[in-house]
Amino acid sequence: MAAQLVSKSERAYIQASLQATPPLRGDGRGLLDFRTVLLETGVAPLANGSAKLNIGKMPHEGGGGTEVLAATKLEVEDVESGDGIDGGRVVCSVSCSPSAYPHLTSNALDELQHDLTVILQQTIGHPSLHPQNLTIIPRKKSWLLNLDAVILADAGNAVDALFMAARAALWDTKVPRTRAVEYQAPEDSRTTRDSASAMDVDNREAIPAASGFDTREMVRTAADFELPDYWDEGEVLHGRERWPVCVTLNLLPPSHFLDATPSEEASVPLRMHLMFSFASPSAPKLQSMRLLGPGELDSAQIKSYISEGEKYARELFNALETKLREEDVRRNVKARDRFAQR
Amino acid sequence: MAQSNFDRRRINGPEESYQPIFEPDEEVDSRWKPGTPRKGRGARDIRPIFLQAGLVNQANGSAYIETEKTKIACAVYGPRQSKTTVYNEKGRLNVEVKFAPFSCTRRRVPIRDAEDRSVAVQIQQALTSAVRLELLPKSTIDIFVTIIENDGIEGCIAAGSVAASVALADAGIEMLGLVASCSAAVVGEEIWMDPTEQEGHIASGSLVYAGMPALGTITNLWQSGSMTPEQAIQCMEACQECCADIHAVMAQALLETAQNT
Repeated sequence: MAAQLVSKSERAYIQASLQATPPLRGDGRGLLDFRTVLLETGVAPLANGSAKLNIGKMPHEGGGGTEVLAATKLEVEDVESGDGIDGGRVVCSVSCSPSAYPHLTSNALDELQHDLTVILQQTIGHPSLHPQNLTIIPRKKSWLLNLDAVILADAGNAVDALFMAARAALWDTKVPRTRAVEYQAPEDSRTTRDSASAMDVDNREAIPAASGFDTREMVRTAADFELPDYWDEGEVLHGRERWPVCVTLNLLPPSHFLDATPSEEASVPLRMHLMFSFASPSAPKLQSMRLLGPGELDSAQIKSYISEGEKYARELFNALETKLREEDVRRNVKARDRFAQR
Repeated sequence: MAQSNFDRRRINGPEESYQPIFEPDEEVDSRWKPGTPRKGRGARDIRPIFLQAGLVNQANGSAYIETEKTKIACAVYGPRQSKTTVYNEKGRLNVEVKFAPFSCTRRRVPIRDAEDRSVAVQIQQALTSAVRLELLPKSTIDIFVTIIENDGIEGCIAAGSVAASVALADAGIEMLGLVASCSAAVVGEEIWMDPTEQEGHIASGSLVYAGMPALGTITNLWQSGSMTPEQAIQCMEACQECCADIHAVMAQALLETAQNT
């Protein structure tokens, strides 16, 4: 997104080689080849879910590549007096580390951060993807899901990396289980309540003739909640199969290519971001589409880009799913086995 | 003396204010049920547009657009010398958008905030390919868009692009073609053109389209929300047809201004 400076002859050289037959890229990849993607979940132990993703790390040179760290954190919000909305809300933010963009001024960095935040927020925060289990007490308390992504290094294709890391972090997110409790002041004394003396339904004795099995009463008067098990991480966030993947098509009519390096991004500024959601594999949904950069297209080209983009996104989605399930196994089943054999 | 909300730079209103009590609106908006037809217009009808160029005398070019409840004024200054010392071989297009504090249901702060910039980026994306910037080296064209009343953010972006394009033409800046823009939303199974704010809330997805009908090209495409790719393409084609009509309205407005001066 933040184009590095590239001279006219370099730009012409890159464009000419991309349009040659056969098309040539600086690192020898094909037009539709992605660089190696490395993903690890559970990297931030204090967060409810986290993931670190790296595209294009070169093992022999010890580093490099686009690196994004995404983490989700849940906060409790009050619906009546605070900012909360009944049903919870999702807020995304992207911050760009200044070390990733050394050539940008702080204003330009702010603007880049803002643009990336807007893309992430408008796609992930859209009501059609809203997870159902963000309510704690209906109409009183709900969860605020903060998804924060940090771009630690940018070697091209930052938007794809952001969405993959965000999807992985959301996949990894566990929502703590809560139980609604009700406060009942003791009738005889005037001692002040403290939070440790929350009483359950069964302990109440001063209620007039209401059945102890009637839990509807509880929900209406529930004023607060507690965590039944402090060490339980919770249940997974609902709707995890709906989170979208993004594929960026860099457009150089008549051809297009994926996963651009910084010099390729600077030479071919026109690109299209397509975010697809594969909740049901037969009917993918287009969650978001953005056309960025100077250039014009006609509608036939757009149609072909959308259908090609769907194919690439499907491959990306399948690969990401496989990796996320592997990560799940690694962190849960294998870790238990290792612990049992210690 | 009030402590926290005392803003020295502005004239403050009274500390406490109360809404005047009106007769309640007849249409008590109950929950929209899928399958209910659109109220007030057909599904494919856009809101009627009032467009006039040459509103602001001070600016090089200006335009005012009004579509039912959305009202936007746009002024263009330029081409004028770039303040930066870096040599730009192509001119720069600088779009600044400001929502008036009274434009939305909740008051907006007078300082530039995040939503202003996202509208500005979209308008810039729509116009950049249309203006012949290679004829204006070392220059900047400043486009100031003021949103006086906002009924639907997609409608604002579309109307803002239309107003900016007419203002640029009014300023005499060379362009490849007039940029027309409109928005569409997928509501249930139907496609509704030019959604208002309420319709935008019940829609499952929306799309903003900007292009040059004279050349048949697309300069900005923004889609958000859950829709199948086929629905997105249908929205795009519907927008393309509407843009041809909007282009006629824009040309008529410019012609009238040219004939009156």
